[in-house]
Amino acid sequence: MSSVVALSAFAYHLPPTSLDLRQLAESGLLAGSVVTLESFGFAKARIASNESHVEMAIRAAQSVLDETETDPGDVGLVLYAGALASSSVAPCMPPPPGSVLHLESVPELFRYPASILQDRLGLDGAVVAGVNQQACASMFSAIQFGRASLIADPALDTVLCVASDRLPDGVARDIVFNVVSDGACAVLLRRDTSMNRVLAIHHVTKPMLFGAGAGDADGGADAEVVSAYFPTAVRVIEDAVRKAGLSLDDIDWVIPHNVSLRSWEILLGMLGMPMRKLFSANIARVGHTISADNLMNLRDAQDAGLLRRGDHLLLFTFGFGLNWSCMILEH
Amino acid sequence: MPARNAVLLTGGTGALGRELLPLLSTTDCDVFVLTRGEGGAPDARFVHGDITHAVDLGMRQTDAAMLRERVTHIIHCAAETRFTAPLAHARAVNVDGTRAVLDFAGTCRAVRAVACASTVYVSGTRTGVILEREPGGCDWVNSYEQSKAEMEAVAGEAMATLPLSIYRFSTIIGHSTTGAVTSFNAIHHALRLFYQGLAPMVPGDLRTLVDFVPVDFAARALHYLVMHRFEPGATYHLAAGSTRSCTLDELLDETVRAFERSRPAWRKRRIERPAVVGTDTYALFTRSVAESGNVLLQRAVQAVQAFAWQLAYPKTFDTSATDAALAGTSIVAPHCRDFYGKVVESCVITNWGGGADGAL
Repeated sequence: MSSVVALSAFAYHLPPTSLDLRQLAESGLLAGSVVTLESFGFAKARIASNESHVEMAIRAAQSVLDETETDPGDVGLVLYAGALASSSVAPCMPPPPGSVLHLESVPELFRYPASILQDRLGLDGAVVAGVNQQACASMFSAIQFGRASLIADPALDTVLCVASDRLPDGVARDIVFNVVSDGACAVLLRRDTSMNRVLAIHHVTKPMLFGAGAGDADGGADAEVVSAYFPTAVRVIEDAVRKAGLSLDDIDWVIPHNVSLRSWEILLGMLGMPMRKLFSANIARVGHTISADNLMNLRDAQDAGLLRRGDHLLLFTFGFGLNWSCMILEH
Repeated sequence: MPARNAVLLTGGTGALGRELLPLLSTTDCDVFVLTRGEGGAPDARFVHGDITHAVDLGMRQTDAAMLRERVTHIIHCAAETRFTAPLAHARAVNVDGTRAVLDFAGTCRAVRAVACASTVYVSGTRTGVILEREPGGCDWVNSYEQSKAEMEAVAGEAMATLPLSIYRFSTIIGHSTTGAVTSFNAIHHALRLFYQGLAPMVPGDLRTLVDFVPVDFAARALHYLVMHRFEPGATYHLAAGSTRSCTLDELLDETVRAFERSRPAWRKRRIERPAVVGTDTYALFTRSVAESGNVLLQRAVQAVQAFAWQLAYPKTFDTSATDAALAGTSIVAPHCRDFYGKVVESCVITNWGGGADGAL
């Protein structure tokens, strides 16, 4: 049996409301400077006003099933990824502005988004599980676990990974110098698919950074995150490329998470990679959708005809926790 | 002529001066230390004054008159050594202050030797082998380098009328055997930022040689060259040179090892060593931090970049004249690998001189 697993299809869903940075600032949804965020490469963010994270997840998953004409009954495993703690429970009422979890009883803690997804999409034959606590790298973890399950279980043919996150209403959309959007994505993992084969996934978690040294005064937590981000990202990316049996020169496209364009200029500079290899179109027009960025970008790059068969793709993401994750695909 | 040598030392309370004082006390001489504050040492007399005062260095008339009669040697170590000091302030201390010291030296009737402490980094952004006989550069990475280069120009003019020599020190980082640091500078501060996980990158090349000397070597060499082998008009590099320096790569590795030796729990934080990046990338990073508005990041970057840009201008320091002058003595700069780790350990153990614990 082949141990090659591929991202055979993927789709995403973004809420229709798009606000530019000035509109966000006027709405009280930015804590930082519009000018700075613009210079870092951001322009707009998507805001989910009337749909929950579960509804966004359902729309993304429905799209990928419909586009591939996949019978929901063929999905053997569903991995539901959520970066935010609030993404792991289903909302049961409109929460007050800014609240993260607004639950009225203990049973509501057991209202899982994955169960609702299974019910609504008829994923009757699937084992359903949640993947969280890797923040924006949760989707990569779901793919990693789904891939491992496909390799380990010959009876398993199709894995559906879904990620969806929605910031609480009314909170600032700029987090550590990045503009955050709401959004969801879904991917089908299968064996023996010729396109978007996973060559390597490499994930590093460093759990002891927050508050460990610099303290919170003067932006200490943000400073620690930024300082840790770059050198560790370099190491994780280099290790992932090495695990795939490649060199950085072999990478044809970098499919990013939509943190600031500036940070990508710095990171690619550290790696000695040219910016022309970065698919950056969605950083300005969408911003950072927490855990849906890379698959959204992969889909758009593919639909735009930018990717050629055999191209080596480097997908990298970072999440609080702290988590760094890199996936190498062969298109 | 005075029957006995008398040394006027400026900067006697700094890292180099403190190491120099006990050596002077073993020499058959009287030692006078110019100081802005109160102080004292068993074998030295502290004279209140300030090099930024043009008239008699701000000393009382009686002290100035006494020194004019007695001083045979002036060792001028006082300096503004902060890399981040405003240029105007650095000039006021390092250029105008030196001019005041030299003016005073010109009034000392018995003066036989005037020694001006400088830095090998007056070479600024020049690269390659920097010779001792070469003048300073014309472009610098911080106000310390620039003001010291300007100071050397002032000293060079004074050589026409004074028995004066220049001693360019490499970066002095601690004691060669104990690792002890008595005066923490930008390098130590950068080490602390690395320890705290706040130094993500530096510019340069992993193969770049980094020149450090221990304070005991610096003091012994200065003492010998001034008190026993003074040569007017000479310029010395008191540096490790190419054969006794480590590469940046080796230093970063040794820093990690020293952190782990002195504080095993540090390993648990899995802090990456700073990446060594190209100048364009480093410039972009520093600009981004400036734009970010994050105060802590800005402080960290400012502290590191004040000297880190030097790493982007690889150079080694010729020590031929110094080696020749020290030949036959036991005064030899040790290899950086033999003391650097001890200095780093000392920083951690003393919590960078702050006492208590660099707790994690």
